[in-house]
Amino acid sequence: MLELRQLSRNFGGVKALDQLDLSVHKGEILGLIGPNGSGKSTTVNVIAGLYKPSSGSLTFNGIDLSQRSTHERAAVGIARTFQNIRLFANLSVWQNVWAAHVVRDSGWTGLRKRWLASGRTARDEVQELLAFSGLAGKADVLAGNLAFGEQRRLELARAAASGAELLLLDEPAAGMNAEEIDELDARIRSLRDQGRTILLIEHHMELVMAVCDRIAVLNFGRKIAEGTPAQVQNDAAVRGAYLGAEATATT
Amino acid sequence: MNYNNLLDLSQSLIDGVLFGSIYALIGIGFTLIFGVMNKINLSYAAASVAAAYVSLLIVQTAPPALVYVAAALVGGVLGALVYLICFHLLPLNKPLATLMSTVGMLLLIDEAIVHITAGMPQNYPAMFVGANIDIGPLSLRSDLLFVFGFGCLVMIGLTLLLKRTRLGLATRAVSQQPVAAQLCGMSITGTNMSTFVIAGFLGGTAGAMAGAAIGVLSPLLTLPLTVKGLVVTVIGGLGSIPGAIIAGLVVGGAENLFQYLRGVSERDIYVMLLLFAFLVFRPGGLFPPPAGRD
Amino acid sequence: MDFYLGLAQVIGVHTLLGLSAWCLLHTGQVSLAQGGFFAIGAYASGMLTTMAGWPLGVALPAAALISATVAVAVGFPALRVKGLMLVVATVAFAEIVRLVCFNLTWRVNTGSGPVGPDGSLGFGGIRYFPSNGWSSIEILILIWGLVAAVMLALAWFDRSRIGTLWRAVGEDEVAAQSVGINLTAAKVSAFGIGGAIAGLSGGIFAHQVTHIEHGNFTILLATFAIAYPILGGLASLWGTVLAVIFIQGFLIEGLRVLGDWRSLLFGALILLVMLLRPSGIITSPIGRWFARSIRFDRPAAPTTGGKTHA
Repeated sequence: MLELRQLSRNFGGVKALDQLDLSVHKGEILGLIGPNGSGKSTTVNVIAGLYKPSSGSLTFNGIDLSQRSTHERAAVGIARTFQNIRLFANLSVWQNVWAAHVVRDSGWTGLRKRWLASGRTARDEVQELLAFSGLAGKADVLAGNLAFGEQRRLELARAAASGAELLLLDEPAAGMNAEEIDELDARIRSLRDQGRTILLIEHHMELVMAVCDRIAVLNFGRKIAEGTPAQVQNDAAVRGAYLGAEATATT
Repeated sequence: MNYNNLLDLSQSLIDGVLFGSIYALIGIGFTLIFGVMNKINLSYAAASVAAAYVSLLIVQTAPPALVYVAAALVGGVLGALVYLICFHLLPLNKPLATLMSTVGMLLLIDEAIVHITAGMPQNYPAMFVGANIDIGPLSLRSDLLFVFGFGCLVMIGLTLLLKRTRLGLATRAVSQQPVAAQLCGMSITGTNMSTFVIAGFLGGTAGAMAGAAIGVLSPLLTLPLTVKGLVVTVIGGLGSIPGAIIAGLVVGGAENLFQYLRGVSERDIYVMLLLFAFLVFRPGGLFPPPAGRD
Repeated sequence: MDFYLGLAQVIGVHTLLGLSAWCLLHTGQVSLAQGGFFAIGAYASGMLTTMAGWPLGVALPAAALISATVAVAVGFPALRVKGLMLVVATVAFAEIVRLVCFNLTWRVNTGSGPVGPDGSLGFGGIRYFPSNGWSSIEILILIWGLVAAVMLALAWFDRSRIGTLWRAVGEDEVAAQSVGINLTAAKVSAFGIGGAIAGLSGGIFAHQVTHIEHGNFTILLATFAIAYPILGGLASLWGTVLAVIFIQGFLIEGLRVLGDWRSLLFGALILLVMLLRPSGIITSPIGRWFARSIRFDRPAAPTTGGKTHA
């Protein structure tokens, strides 16, 4: 559903992304891994529209994203979390999720939709998402006052609330303990089971290997390997990237 | 346009550019503080004028040159005070609170001046009044030339200070990466404080120069100096000292030019339109700050 | 008695002005253009009632509309800049408006002599209230009726989805965009609504004082406009009202007994409030009590839990 073709992004003289080709298929969990500075976060930011690509094309469900601004990309179905958590700190937990939920049906079409809608209201859906994230009891708390792990969960709930088909998760496990990572694993799977597609950027290899259907490996802005977790784990180039050139020579 | 008009026009332009060195100094002060703290100190121009007022205390006994130095020193002290009261005591993550505290300080300083002088303009000593240098049909007013020269001297001193000393290095380090700078053993409070003191020196000098160029100090100076200083900062590019210098001279020149062409009551409209032109066509200013990755 | 009526009128006008800045601050925009929109509303409504002979009931909404239109026009270019740049850009706009007022001369002859803006002399003779026999009490009721209407509208708005989106934009623009919030729409609508409210308050101001001039609309006025909501605290609309009463009622009028020293205390007290209450008055125990006892402006929250996290 998401296609990156020959995508490059330069910062000054640095090629953060170099002719990257990447496809995300509907309904899968695709892991994107690589050493620090390999271009993972740049990829997310280019897909989300925070950076413009220097060259190359970017399509989502056949829509050319290059002319779409960040909020329009969210509207067509791409939502994200941030590596360094970015919540609406002075809004309550509930409002954080609500804001992401209601934005898709504001305006005239939304008004009509709300008018015609029966049964489930936005409020119910927000409540469900909070329960899903284990935050139901904290709906009234200001997001900025949450514990770190809770903030990560809230960010995921907010991204899910926007109704996006594709979720870009930028290091969602960073700073989490083993138990929290297990919960995250279960949440990611259940989001996928609800029909969402997930692009997971992560350093935590256990999580990536466990949860991902496919994995793409970046190094110096290029894709050096792609395949199932097992394939990637046994790939010489990947080992080289992570362990240094000598390791490749000895294997 | 005939020859005489052209002459008058050039003369206004020259006078304006010379006076613009004052705007440049104020602009540098704003830009320095913004560069290090990423915050605006709205009381800055008022404190600068106040410093010049305080220097009047020794005007009876000291030669004018010493009065200017006194103004600079007082400016430094006021800078430190403003930092301590309006910035250091407030949480850093509340930008609106510091904005408002500097507004409070601006009003306080303004009113203190009015209160102490009963709102009367005070004469300020100038140097080389009347000794003009003629270049063909144009003449350079020596007092303005002195203001300009003095301003340039201060700017050169500042550049050397920032480029050559440890303090300058620390200032730049803190402005670029506060946390990393702190980990390297630089004190943020110390650096911020020194920046305010340095900006205060410049401001005090600018206040004295304004007094010398106009001949009087008046509380009415503070708001226009604040506005023009901010305009200069934006046109120059936030955080850019060379930008502030050039923008100061440009704004000074443009102001006088428009005053000649359209009269004093309309001139600032065009100065502000000049600012808008920059915001639309070159929003980063003359020297835009480097765009960060994050 | 007349003195207190006049003071209450002033507080009402300034409350409206503060509320207009409240709208913009909610989207994270520090705008010093509010004084400019206020001036536009004042001149426009004054010209409509005196020169065109419109009734106030039509002139006021028209003035609000004119201000809103200008504000939207200002809002679009203002999108390109934020933080300090926005402050300076809006200062520049407000100064241009003030200087245009300073230079605007447009006199027309009516039955009772020439009326209209007269350049640096200002714009006098906006005597709609006296010539239609309005008493001070009636003017006061009109002003506070409008304040109540605007506050109710804003309180409803704050609870509504758009209000939440505004706040989200004010909290974090990047995060707001990534959940699909249109920054342009949020910021420009804030400018438009804020501009309309500022124009409305300017319109009342012009008719209340009957003589306006460029000196009424300096940067200081715009600074007050943003000072009210910041001092009061953005958490609640009541914060703005409290701050206006504090500044206009207590600092300016209440301390008159102190003579000259009053103006000195003025800046110092603003400074002091900020030092003691960096997030504004309304987070204080009194403010929270106040906000609790009058609940209508609390942002929408689910019924679960019952704790207040003001």
